[in-house]
Amino acid sequence: MTAADASTAVAATDASAGAPAEASASPFTMVTGAPGAMVCEGDVCFVPGADAATE
Amino acid sequence: MSTPIKIDIWSDIACPWCYIGKRHFEAGVAALGDDAPEIEVEYHSFELAPDTPVDFEGSEIDFLAKHKGMPAERVQQMLQHVTGVAANAGLDYDFDALQHTKTLKAHELLHFAKSEGRQLELAERLFRAYFTEGRHVGRVDELVALAADAGLDADAAREALESGRFAAAVQADIAQAGAYGINGVPFFVIDGKYGVSGAQPAEVFGQVLTQVAGERDGAVA
Repeated sequence: MTAADASTAVAATDASAGAPAEASASPFTMVTGAPGAMVCEGDVCFVPGADAATE
Repeated sequence: MSTPIKIDIWSDIACPWCYIGKRHFEAGVAALGDDAPEIEVEYHSFELAPDTPVDFEGSEIDFLAKHKGMPAERVQQMLQHVTGVAANAGLDYDFDALQHTKTLKAHELLHFAKSEGRQLELAERLFRAYFTEGRHVGRVDELVALAADAGLDADAAREALESGRFAAAVQADIAQAGAYGINGVPFFVIDGKYGVSGAQPAEVFGQVLTQVAGERDGAVA
């Protein structure tokens, strides 16, 4: 991951105005960050918004 | 003296990207050098797979392939990928040795450690034990030994685990995550204001910390 990839880190998105689905109920201003950052839910980990689950 | 920037982190010991995200966060702070703001980190419980048994005979591949019905080849690809990313973060993941288990007791121990002021030390010890050493973090005896490694009193740790007196605190964290709409981990809350989802690269953490520190300076000026 390069610094350029992370350049959107502080392009914060107000959660009430179109944040990613997993943060739809979040009271926080979501930091956009790098699009490829992985999260884990249940037994699978994936890139939010991507089709294929991966770990 | 200014109040430290609070960092609340929801994670699970059994979450490979949580340990990687921890390293990325630490690297992001370190990269700021002398400009790094003072921070206070607190870990919160998140149980990724509550249906996981305490004892599972088999490898991580066995668990995901047989217990969860995922194609073995796909599981192997997943684990190879995460092992590679972990290596880039300086972590030597060993999925062949890993002992899949329920992490509820480990979370109780993290709350005990918080009450003793050693939560960060224990979080690191538990992640390392689980992902790189193949230790069983679901059993009380093993957890007590790891607590001692982290500088906690072994007898007090055992009492905390056997009494279950931190179970409610674990459930409160999990409920709070639900109230916040946190479905996946790691999830970082910076200064009670910004949400950072996933194992973001170090630069992201550095930038958001710099932004928060700047906002604070602006508010004071």
